[in-house]
Amino acid sequence: MSAVIATELTQRFGSELALDSVDLAIDGGEHLAVLGENGAGKTTLLRILATAARPTSGRLEIFGLDAMIERRRLRARIGFVAHAPGLYPALSAAENLAFFCTLQGAARARVAEVLDLVGLTDIAGRPAGKLSRGAQQRLAIGRAVLHDPRLLVLDEPDASLDSDGADLLARVMRGRTAIIATHDHALANRLCQRSLVLRRGRVVGVPTRLRVVH
Amino acid sequence: MRSISIALAVARKDLTSEWRTRELVPALAQFVVLALVIANFGFQFDSRNAPAIAPGVLWMVLVFAGLVAFGRAFAAEREQASLEAMLMTPAAPAAIFAGKALAAGLLLVICEAVLLPALALFFGVPLSFDVVSAVLLATVGMAVLGCLFAAMVARVRARELLLPVLTLPLWIPFMVVGGQAVQTAMGGGGGTGQATGLLLDLDILFVVLTSLAARFVLDD
Repeated sequence: MSAVIATELTQRFGSELALDSVDLAIDGGEHLAVLGENGAGKTTLLRILATAARPTSGRLEIFGLDAMIERRRLRARIGFVAHAPGLYPALSAAENLAFFCTLQGAARARVAEVLDLVGLTDIAGRPAGKLSRGAQQRLAIGRAVLHDPRLLVLDEPDASLDSDGADLLARVMRGRTAIIATHDHALANRLCQRSLVLRRGRVVGVPTRLRVVH
Repeated sequence: MRSISIALAVARKDLTSEWRTRELVPALAQFVVLALVIANFGFQFDSRNAPAIAPGVLWMVLVFAGLVAFGRAFAAEREQASLEAMLMTPAAPAAIFAGKALAAGLLLVICEAVLLPALALFFGVPLSFDVVSAVLLATVGMAVLGCLFAAMVARVRARELLLPVLTLPLWIPFMVVGGQAVQTAMGGGGGTGQATGLLLDLDILFVVLTSLAARFVLDD
């Protein structure tokens, strides 16, 4: 059964067509890589799929729910890592996660589990603003899986991660439906079963089945 | 219950951040004292007309301090891209808004704790329960309105200009009614009950309206 079904998703910003009639179906548990050059529409597509933005037109169904109507219900099942980490610099890594635990309605015990998952246990008490960019990205990834979402939407999460980053992404994506935008074809090949290439807001060809190297 | 715990968590997060960075309150307290010093030299007042001038100075300073405090509440969230992270949770936007308004209101109350004694010192006017209650009641309504418009303009480049233009007209009832209450209390006259009651009515009206509007302002 498809976890995500997008039909003719179109996004306009004024006269600019950022996304042009994108059709997409992702099976439950499947990992899809979204590839394309800068400005191809990857971020726009991912923001719509994460319910962070509304398309100008088109339909989006996630886990059988209309994403335009059931946004708040769906957000309990979606984890989103955006371009900017969106952390509170004065709060520690653990405090950032504890705050989002309250907002997500997740158990406080998840904080320690997630810090361990993303490898930040040793620096859990350090203010987020004083963490390296890579550690901030790990924290943002940790925050996205705090509530154990069924769908994970990752917008270039590898941008600031070190060499262990791919392992971390593989760990957090395991057992979930995941959509990842990246420029790194090798990473896409390693983490995803299929890839989709965007060019000027349009899907180029048909989604390709990747050779999965686990 | 969940909305209350979310609102309290958001307020606690904002107050903790302010406590650790000390970005806003020291600057606002300094502004409050400097504004009173300037007013002290700018107005010709004596013991007879001080109770007539001091309330005007109080509300002018409070309005400008409020604009800065409420403007920062959402501008900081937008700058660090954390507002979207909050809105990507199933938490009700009204609860998030309530927490933001609560924290911004409390920060303004801290400034009022500097403003009111300093006003009494510079202008020689009495500080009574009626004065404090009128200022605190006006702060509630000002905080919810100020934060709603601050959320609205946070993504606009000219937000510093737009916030006063949108907010000040709706703060006028608080200035008028609060001004009357404070003037009466400082003049030694009784009977601030009606003005206090009206401030409470305005608070209830604007808390309800802004809670309903918060969803539409924050969610897209």
